This record gives sequence, C-alpha cells and structure tokens, in this order.
Amino acid sequence: MEMKVLNGMFLCVLTLVVGCGTSDVSAPVASSQPSPEGAQFVATTEPANAVPVGTARESAQDEQEVTLVGRIGGSTEPFVNGLAAFTIVDPKVPHCSADEGCPTPWDYCCTQDQVKGNIATVKVVDGAGKPITGDARQLLGVKELSTVVIQGKATRDDQGNLTVAATTVFVRPGE
Amino acid sequence: MIFIPLLYQTLPPMLLPWEYGVRNLARRPVRTALTLVALATVVMLVFVVVGFIRGLERSLAISGDRDVALVYSVNSEENIENSSIEARTPDLLTASIDGVWNRFGVAHVSSELYMGTRVKVRDGSGGLGLVRGVTRNAPLVRRGVRLTAGHWPQAGEVMVGRLAAAKLGIDSDELAIGRPIDFEGRSWTIGGEFSAGGAAYESEIWCPLTDFQTATRRQDLSLVAILLAPGATPAEVSLFCKERNDLELRAIRETDYYGTLQQHYRPVRLLAWLVVFLVAGAGVFAGLNMMYGAVAGRVREIATLQAIGYRRRAILLSLVQEGAVLAAAASLLAGLISLTVLNGTAVRFTMGAFVLRIDSVAILWGCSVGLLLGVLGALPPALKALRASVAISIKAT
Repeated sequence: MEMKVLNGMFLCVLTLVVGCGTSDVSAPVASSQPSPEGAQFVATTEPANAVPVGTARESAQDEQEVTLVGRIGGSTEPFVNGLAAFTIVDPKVPHCSADEGCPTPWDYCCTQDQVKGNIATVKVVDGAGKPITGDARQLLGVKELSTVVIQGKATRDDQGNLTVAATTVFVRPGE
Repeated sequence: MIFIPLLYQTLPPMLLPWEYGVRNLARRPVRTALTLVALATVVMLVFVVVGFIRGLERSLAISGDRDVALVYSVNSEENIENSSIEARTPDLLTASIDGVWNRFGVAHVSSELYMGTRVKVRDGSGGLGLVRGVTRNAPLVRRGVRLTAGHWPQAGEVMVGRLAAAKLGIDSDELAIGRPIDFEGRSWTIGGEFSAGGAAYESEIWCPLTDFQTATRRQDLSLVAILLAPGATPAEVSLFCKERNDLELRAIRETDYYGTLQQHYRPVRLLAWLVVFLVAGAGVFAGLNMMYGAVAGRVREIATLQAIGYRRRAILLSLVQEGAVLAAAASLLAGLISLTVLNGTAVRFTMGAFVLRIDSVAILWGCSVGLLLGVLGALPPALKALRASVAISIKAT
C-alpha cells in the first residue's frame, strides 16, 4: 500500500516537472493605446474606400497609393521583431474561433491555402520611406487579429507579393 | 570556593576535543571506509548529473553568434533538419538586404544543407550522424570553427568535428584523417578535423555542399546563415522574409534559435535536477542508516561522556563533526575522480554530442550535497542516543 502511494507521488512529481512547462506560444499582447512616438501614424477616423487585401493583390499597381483593410496574422509570428512591420490577411479568410481552443488562431492554421493569395506585408515608414524601428504592438497599440485599415504606397513584385509602406494606420475598435 | 561555580557558569560549555571525533573514525576502519565509499558514490552521481546539465547548457549557450541570422523554411517549425528552401535564396538575400556583411567583394553568406543520416565506418559500425554540406564561405560566418588537423574538404572528402565520434557512438580512431566513411550511398574520405569551442557543430561532419547535394539527389538548401554587418539587425532579414511571402522563409538571430532549443530541453534539465534531489535524498537515507549503526554501538560511550560532565550539545557536535569530516573526505574523493575522469567526457544526445562539464557550479552542488549528507545523516541518530537515560545507557551491553 505504502509502495503504491510512493509510486503515485513519484508519478505526480514527474508529471508536474515534465508537464508544467510554459507554452512556447504566448497569448496576444493586450495593447490598446499607441505610444507617443506611434501616435503620428495612427488615424482617429477610418479612411474611406478601403479594399480588402485579396482584392488589392489583384488590382494594386506598383508605387500606387492604396487603402487596405486586413486582420493582423498569417503566421505564428505576424510581427517583425525590431521593426514596425507585420502581415495582414483579408478579413474574408476565416481563422479558428476562440472556442476551438487553438492557442494561435492568428496563424490561420486551418486555412493556410487561402492565406497565400490574401496576405500583404505592412511596414510603417517615416518621411524618407525607412521602416520605423520598434515594436508595432507598442507603437500602434495593435495585437494579433486586430483589424486595421492601412494607407500607403504599394510595392508589387513579379511573384505577386504585396507590400505596403504605410504612413497611416487605423485600428478598428473592438476588433 | 565561591568563585568556582561562578567560573564554571561563565566558561563556554566544554567541548570534546577535535581529535576525539577524528580518532573515532579510525577506530572502526571498515565501517568508516564503507561509509566513505557510499557517500563518495552519492556525491559522484550528483557530479555526473550536474555535469550533464552544465554541459548541455554550455553547448547550447555558446553555439550561437549574435551577429548571425539564420534563414530557413517557415514550415519546418523549430527544426532546421526539416527545412527545405530554394537554392536561389542566398543570392536573393545578398541582393536584397543591405545588412549582409561584405568584405573584399565577398558576401558573408553560408549556404548549407543539413540533415541527420546513417553514417558507417570501415568495420561496418556507426550510427545516426549529423552532416552539413557547406561552401568555402562557411568559416566566414561560422567564426568559432577551427581546422585542427588536415585540410578543408575537397571533392569526395569530409571533415569531422571533435565530438563526431561520440555522436556516432564509435571509437575516435575510426574517424582519423585518411579513413573512409560511408553515408548517403557513397564513400567519403576524412580530410580534416575541426573544433568549435564546444558549440553544437563539433558533433557534425562537414562536406562540400555540391557533393552532398549530388549524393542526396537534392537541389535545395536547409538554411542560409548570414553574418550581419556592424549595426545591422536580423529585423531587416525578417522583413525581407515577410515581404517575399512566396519563398516561405523565416529569419531568426542564431542565439535566439539556440535559446529556443534551451527551452525545448527545459523538461530534460528539470528532470535532471529532480534526479539530483532524488540522489541526494537517497544519499541522506544511506547516511542515516550508516550513522544509526555507528551510534547504536556507542551507547555506553556516549552515556559515559555525559556522566563525566560533557554536555549533550558537545557530544552532539562531536558526532556531527565525525559525519561532516567523513562527508568532506568523500566529497573530495568524488571531486578528484570527477575532475580527472569524468570532466570532458563526451555524451551522445539527440541534438548531437556535448561534454560533461564539472565546473565551479557542479563542484559547489556536489560538495554542498556531500556536506549536507554528513550533517543531516548524523543528527537524528545522535539525538536519539542522547535522549536515552544516562543510567540505563551505561548499563547497556
């Protein structure tokens, strides 16, 4: 009987030690207010005539001024560490809902085939067109799956990739 | 006369001479020797486990270079062995990123094909080895790598890391320069040996990239390692990877990559620390058992010491001194063996191989556990003996 108790205790300790590791993937960093440095890039009213990312990938020309709407995501780490840049996905592409228990719904793991044609890279740039250093989450007050409306200049390449050098970012409240 | 009791009260309690405890150890040489061996074994086990943890941690800690960014497939998760990227990627990166270090017209970019494969030596033995196909640019980026013997591998040749034999589980003589080894369906000749200051590469086998691609019938790469120019950051490379979504790349600072491996092996390290505590716990019980035996045979002696005026505290201190002296000797013995025999021993592991590292932290842990065993092991039996009545104990046979 005592042996069984000891074995049970040992298994419990092992389970605790091996199983209680911290998750590699953290939850979205809650952030709502842009930093003072980022306020100049954040619009207070939503720009009109925004087109979804998927449509822009078909119609936008290189060097054209565009207004895009999309949701931050597309991979496990949609933000670029050290630069105010991230990827956005067309809002029509579904992602895992909260009740499915997916720890990283912003990676669109179940709809990756749809993401390829509906993703764009956004880099917030200064007056000289250089990407702003820092974390977009703190700078703009955004997080994974935030819906944003971007204004900026489009860059296209032969492979169909779309990058927007953004000068204005509007964050839809509550999304 | 009045002053005598007063003097007695002001003096510190009479302690047993230091030699008394030491000589007691020599009175029962067989029992003392057995206890010494038991304690030394426990402390040695602690040294082995802590040395394992320290070796693994050091291997991962020094494997990365802060100035190097790794670019590999976004679909490979954290495992570069599963990565497959287009062969044109290095040229695209060099042309698109300003932060690549370029000296004398040579971009410091290393194209690499990396995989685990079965490696056989001449007598047919061998195991799963880690092979990296590299170009002559590799040493420009992998700055810790040093050619220690032989020459840079030519066509059909390989160079082996200092711990490659340990990774394969074979004798190091089998990987001597000039010896043949087989992998991926062809025979290769060992042309050189290299070290990397204890980094993970030391358990690898390096060969020319084109030869390796031909042998494996692959035209792709596993990764591209970029040495960043002073002031440049991996963020620039990451941004390129995001912009070129079609290439499905991801970039990470090399030190961060090995940092994630540290996280990956965290349960192993925790389990190893648990083993340290379990071994130490078992050692305390072994010590208790030995000391109970030692004290049980000395009931009359302890009672006699009390009868002639030694306080219980003084006798307890003497018994603890015996345990501590024995444990210290065992710790020294275990430390000596660990430093001369175990330190630097190669250990095979999933990610390659590393060496056991009996460093200051390991010595601190080992000796602390050793001394703890001596003190904790001696206390309970000594207290038990001292609680018995002096009159009854003196009559004990």
